[in-house]
Amino acid sequence: MDLAFESVTKSFGTQTVLDGVSFHAHSGEALGLLGRNGAGKTTSIRILMGVFPADSGRVLADGAPIDRAKVSMGYLPEERGMYPKKKIFEQLVYFARLHGMTKPAAARAVDGWLDRLGMTEYRDKRLDTLSKGNQQKIQLITALAHDPDVIILDEPFSGLDPVNAMLLKDVVKDEIDRGKTVLFSSHQMSYIEEFCHSIAILRGGKIVLSGSLRDIKRDYPRDRLVLRSERADDIAAAYPDACQQREDGSLLLRLPSPEAKGATMKALAEKYDLDEMRVFEPSLNDIFVEYAGDNEQGGEKA
Amino acid sequence: MKQFGVILRFEMGNYLKNKTFIGVTVFLVLALAILLFFPRIAALFKDDGEPAADAGDGRDGPVMLLDASDEDEDTLLAAFSAAFPNYEVRLADGTDIESAIADGEAECAFVLEGLSRYTYYVDDLSLYDMNTDTADEVLGQVCKLAAMTAGGMTAEQAADILAFRPEHAVQTLGTDQGQNFFYTYIMIFALYMVILLYGQMVATSVATEKSSRAMELLITSAKPVSMMFGKVIAACLAGLSQLVCVFGAALLFYRLNRAAWGGNMIMGMLFDMPPALLGYMLLYFVLGFFLYAFMFGAVGSTATKLEDINTSVLPVTVLFIVGFFVVVSAMSSGTVNSALMKICSYVPFTSPIAMFTRIAMSTVSWVEIALSTLVLAASVIGIGVLAARIYKVGVLLYGSRPRLGDILRSLRKA
Repeated sequence: MDLAFESVTKSFGTQTVLDGVSFHAHSGEALGLLGRNGAGKTTSIRILMGVFPADSGRVLADGAPIDRAKVSMGYLPEERGMYPKKKIFEQLVYFARLHGMTKPAAARAVDGWLDRLGMTEYRDKRLDTLSKGNQQKIQLITALAHDPDVIILDEPFSGLDPVNAMLLKDVVKDEIDRGKTVLFSSHQMSYIEEFCHSIAILRGGKIVLSGSLRDIKRDYPRDRLVLRSERADDIAAAYPDACQQREDGSLLLRLPSPEAKGATMKALAEKYDLDEMRVFEPSLNDIFVEYAGDNEQGGEKA
Repeated sequence: MKQFGVILRFEMGNYLKNKTFIGVTVFLVLALAILLFFPRIAALFKDDGEPAADAGDGRDGPVMLLDASDEDEDTLLAAFSAAFPNYEVRLADGTDIESAIADGEAECAFVLEGLSRYTYYVDDLSLYDMNTDTADEVLGQVCKLAAMTAGGMTAEQAADILAFRPEHAVQTLGTDQGQNFFYTYIMIFALYMVILLYGQMVATSVATEKSSRAMELLITSAKPVSMMFGKVIAACLAGLSQLVCVFGAALLFYRLNRAAWGGNMIMGMLFDMPPALLGYMLLYFVLGFFLYAFMFGAVGSTATKLEDINTSVLPVTVLFIVGFFVVVSAMSSGTVNSALMKICSYVPFTSPIAMFTRIAMSTVSWVEIALSTLVLAASVIGIGVLAARIYKVGVLLYGSRPRLGDILRSLRKA
């Protein structure tokens, strides 16, 4: 199932929440939907799920306007919550049946997932007797039990211990391998880098950067060098305005242009005793801060 | 439609598995059983009972003291004893009346100063204390009797004249309000209780889903209309099943014990209702319930916190209570067909109770009933659709409680 947003606009009252948002998500891939709080992620997800309509623009599934009666979706909302006083099995079956499953099929699927996530022992317990992390695993089942074509996970890793995070990673990877379209929203960039083939960064209701993560990284201007040397201070003194000390002790040297790279590298290698010298490749974290952050630079580049 | 069925069954399960719901129903049925089986239970005890109690002077009950030292005490004692069969009337014989009443030895006392003037002593004067009226009559009779015998009549002749009462009969062509009052009152009170109780439950249920954030999942899994209707219809069925249990049990127990109750007038009045009235009760319960439950549901969806729910539903509750009191006061003053009641029986917010009362306690043409039902049914649909839309918008509004204006504005967009 290929999903696409085409110039989707949405405003509440006088406040424009989404302003011409477009992105694509492909089957068998995960799309990272990134952005700071209030950037419009949840609104995009709600429009996708048909909670409310877009003011303008289209949501397409396999190229045609989406028919939500036919496309099944699973959603793990960021605001977690189910029925705290009800038995886990009972409510999981209820949620699966809301998505159109028959009672026996729903029961089978729920038992399967409880087993897979190691939660079978809690099957007949009340939800509010579980720890936060375990409640989250239960809620994950509501997003997956009805075997949806599109899976939307909003901050799925928050609150999980490392062992559970591993378990969840395996589950998500399996779903991607099974050809599901996964929409993934998180502020933990390492998970995005691990899963997502492509990303879309929202800022103030606009997409400021989107595309395949590899392309984005490759196209990132190669105008910075990372240097490690015993004589870091001397280098910093030689390039007073362009040098920046990084947290790990290395130096980041900004070049006037990417073309100056060869000459500068040669000059540095001749002049100083270097332990390491490479072209700076930004992490997703760096990209996110640059594009989604408040500094004007990011905005201009968009 | 399938989704609606799933929601309906889930919500019904919530009620039927609710311990309070089951507890209250069982309690009411048991209480009715004890009440209606009472004559049999009482008879059971009497059979084993203490014959000594019956072997007394045949009179029990509270003591009434009579102080009439200036008059013919024996005649007055006989007259008072006959007029107050529920009391044991004794002559005061110089007892300190006030302290006797204070100590509980006597319940009340008449101190006569001649036949035309007396003081009535009683500890707490009950609202329904008719003793002075009876005493007035007794003394009047005694005076008249004395006057007549003094005028030359024999005591028998005088007694005959005094005992004269014209015979009369009432032929009710419409409805006898005295006869209907009790069961109508019970039925509208049941309507009132159930609509208010279950309406509030709908509001609380919506607000709970919202505050626990289960709404985030529900709203993306199910259509708001299915959810709203599923919830309201489930609450309606739960309320209806409770009504059927309680009223059915009451009727059944009464039938079983009809002989034991014998000619008890109040019981006869309570249970001697025309079956058609039960049909009307069902009709107005269902329609009235839907109307209010939709409003409660919509209001519940706008509450942000569960604690807010009581203040949020207040306007709806007040609307309903005002309607109820208009009807009850019309009932007790016997003016069920006043202009106000006629208006109320067409206004959808009051018509379920007002029209039902008019049908029960007077004669209403079928045209009026049909018109009122039609208006009510149309309002139910209108309010249902509106409520589902408010619900759809309301459940996603967190933060501060939205104002009416905000909701209406977002309604136009939704």
